[in-house]
Amino acid sequence: MAYHCPVCNKVSSSAMDLTRHMIGRGDKVHRDWINSKGFKFSELLALQFKSFGGEGYRALAEILEKEAKVEG
Amino acid sequence: MSNYTVIGKRVHRIDGTEKVTGNAKFTFDLVLSNMLYGKILRSPHPHAKIVNLDTTQAEKLIGVKAVVTGKDTLGRKNGIWRRFPELCDEEILCRAKVRFVGDPVAAVAAIDEDTAEEACQLIRVEYEELPAVFDPLEAIKEEAPQIHEGVELNINVTRHIEWGDVDEAFKRCDYVREDRFKTSSQHHVCMETHDAVASFDYNGKLTVWTSTQSSYYIQRLLADMLGLREGDIRVIKPPTGGGFGSKFELDSAQFCASVLSMKLCRPVKIVLTRAEEFTATKRRTPMHYFSKLGAKKDGTFLAKEVRVLTEGGAYTGMGATALYLTGFFSSFPYKFPNYRYDGYRVYTNTAPTSACRGFGAPQSTFVGESQIDMLAEALGIDPIEIRRKNGMTPNYEVPGQAFIQSCELHQCLDKTEEQIKQRGKLPPNHGIGVACYGFMSGGIFNWFDTPYAFSSALVRINIDGKVDLFTGACEIGQGSDTTLSMICAEELGVRLEDIRIHSGDTGICPADLGSWGSRETLMNGNAVKMAAADAKRQLMAFAAAKLGANIVYDLNMTDRWFHLVDRPERGFSYYDIVKGVIRGNDGEAIIGRGHYTPHRKGMISPAYSFGVQAVEVEVDPETGRYKLVNVSTAHGSGKVINPVGIEGQLEGAIMMAGGYGFCEDQPMDNGKILNPSFDDYKLIRSLDMPEVKILEIESYEPEGPFGAKEAGEGLTNPTAGAIGNAIYKAIGVRINDLPITPEKVFRALREKENQGK
Repeated sequence: MAYHCPVCNKVSSSAMDLTRHMIGRGDKVHRDWINSKGFKFSELLALQFKSFGGEGYRALAEILEKEAKVEG
Repeated sequence: MSNYTVIGKRVHRIDGTEKVTGNAKFTFDLVLSNMLYGKILRSPHPHAKIVNLDTTQAEKLIGVKAVVTGKDTLGRKNGIWRRFPELCDEEILCRAKVRFVGDPVAAVAAIDEDTAEEACQLIRVEYEELPAVFDPLEAIKEEAPQIHEGVELNINVTRHIEWGDVDEAFKRCDYVREDRFKTSSQHHVCMETHDAVASFDYNGKLTVWTSTQSSYYIQRLLADMLGLREGDIRVIKPPTGGGFGSKFELDSAQFCASVLSMKLCRPVKIVLTRAEEFTATKRRTPMHYFSKLGAKKDGTFLAKEVRVLTEGGAYTGMGATALYLTGFFSSFPYKFPNYRYDGYRVYTNTAPTSACRGFGAPQSTFVGESQIDMLAEALGIDPIEIRRKNGMTPNYEVPGQAFIQSCELHQCLDKTEEQIKQRGKLPPNHGIGVACYGFMSGGIFNWFDTPYAFSSALVRINIDGKVDLFTGACEIGQGSDTTLSMICAEELGVRLEDIRIHSGDTGICPADLGSWGSRETLMNGNAVKMAAADAKRQLMAFAAAKLGANIVYDLNMTDRWFHLVDRPERGFSYYDIVKGVIRGNDGEAIIGRGHYTPHRKGMISPAYSFGVQAVEVEVDPETGRYKLVNVSTAHGSGKVINPVGIEGQLEGAIMMAGGYGFCEDQPMDNGKILNPSFDDYKLIRSLDMPEVKILEIESYEPEGPFGAKEAGEGLTNPTAGAIGNAIYKAIGVRINDLPITPEKVFRALREKENQGK
């Protein structure tokens, strides 16, 4: 499966991977997109260093699963 | 038996005598006629706007010749990641804002240091203090102050490395553990502080003598910042008292001395004080580590996930590379089929963090090796056995990252196991901890964006047979001049005393990226070997004709004697051949050229060292005090060029890495470093040094000159992890944050006692 980033069109192999890309990229346009979905970017990032569950990532990945352009 | 006549022999350093007799002239010692002395005024605030800067009183002071501020510069931003302009973020002389305690705001040139110092105190700077943030976990919050304009959440750089299917692999694991670690800061503590003498002449040429790890980088970075052509700047590296990663970026001494000299057309010398060195130069990167490790019941590693948040300090420096390398080396030296790394570097209002011997790997090795011992214990597997089961082997490919050719890890494990057995039954409260490691032999990444070869060398053979070796490699105390001279002598077939090396001077030496990432032996060594071979080929052609040999390959030269390989008695003196060739060359000296740039060698390095270290500690369970009793290291560095050199590197590394694990730190209050002197900054001293043993490992690296690879930074990687593991073995407490001070051990012991009650 090819998941396209809704901001820069980078292709990832899963919604979780795409989440990692969007948070890792961390520039304004990616942040704005994430924030527009009701998340707080900085909280998602800080969660990375507070728990191993990746809850914040998973929540964003669920959104991307529905909203990202998917091929294959 | 070795066929080599020079390499592999125990050789004292060629610059040793002049250094131990005090005759070597460091930048610190240089005095030029008409020279002035400079001092730098630095910010007392961690984060503030510069509202007004009045230098009037300072300029009036008798003996002051010039005062410069950011307004006297072009306002350009310095950075060594030139490929990424957004990471060039350091003005050096701040124009509008300061970002850490120690940021330079003005510089003075005067007739002596005292006058310059007094003038600094007369400069009136009006600051508007801004809210500051010191902890990276706080700095990424939306309400945190923004340190650099446009860098929201203060995220400076992010890095991601991944291979395999990590999530799926964790599901298949029989045992998974998640742990947090924190690594501390460390200062490089070079014996020679940062310093420079800059001399700008009326012809518009700037000469800078400076203590540096890369004269070529400094030349290029000065050209960028000063608006000069590279050819108008000559950087000369005199004997240098240490670098350890702190001296390959443009620093305030080099820049301010140059700006002052350009204003005055007089030489200006700036030497940082020890306090400035501690507070205003870069330091090892503290890191928050979150590591998840999964394995099968038999100890086979299936997956690892690592997240790292680093305290970047005020500027990028080389911190972005440390962020990448700590992620890469978190997988080292094991075969993880599934691996994921997410790294974030965050700006904070603290002294910038950057490269420091090991370049991110001591942090990852402390974390990785601690966690492996924890996992091994939970699975009931011997720590050496679990490492043997998962350790890298020759010709292993780190997916998408690196190709390992030579790998001595299993030999090193065998030797270490043997050594531990020889130690026999340990006394009470003693413990031996092991740690495996690996390191690169120079970096492939070209963030500096240079069109030049990574290393180059030129060999000139003169009429008397003496050989001048020119190289941009920088001898900073690690012994590269000796190593490179030995490689040159061996390849040419002459003696070591026939070589005279000229290094680190951009005016006469070909470009080399410098001494960082443990690159000189392999990278510059290859360039030197190639240059020597080129010169030798010219001699061979003449000798072959003279000898009437069938083909040129029948010839060789060893110990100044050209001869047929199969009949060594038939030949000519090296001197006669040299004279003949130069005569036939219309009197021109023989010139050989060599260059090396790694191609198609992966993302990181053309070759990797591997090793295992065993540290024995003795802990006092009452007080938590402990001492390092014995450190035994098996290090695979390919063919050893100079055994004396590797011994020196190892002893120095144990002192430095032992300090990192045991006592060195830079505590801060409101961004101000609290221990900026040798009274307060705790180092391992000679009397604290443990017994040191080298376990010899024979190997050969195909990519290296004569089979050699690194033996510098790699040795710094294992010690902190091995200390942590040894303490756990001795008294059953584990410390996850560096340094492992006796106080932390004491508290952990008391906590353990309380839990037992």
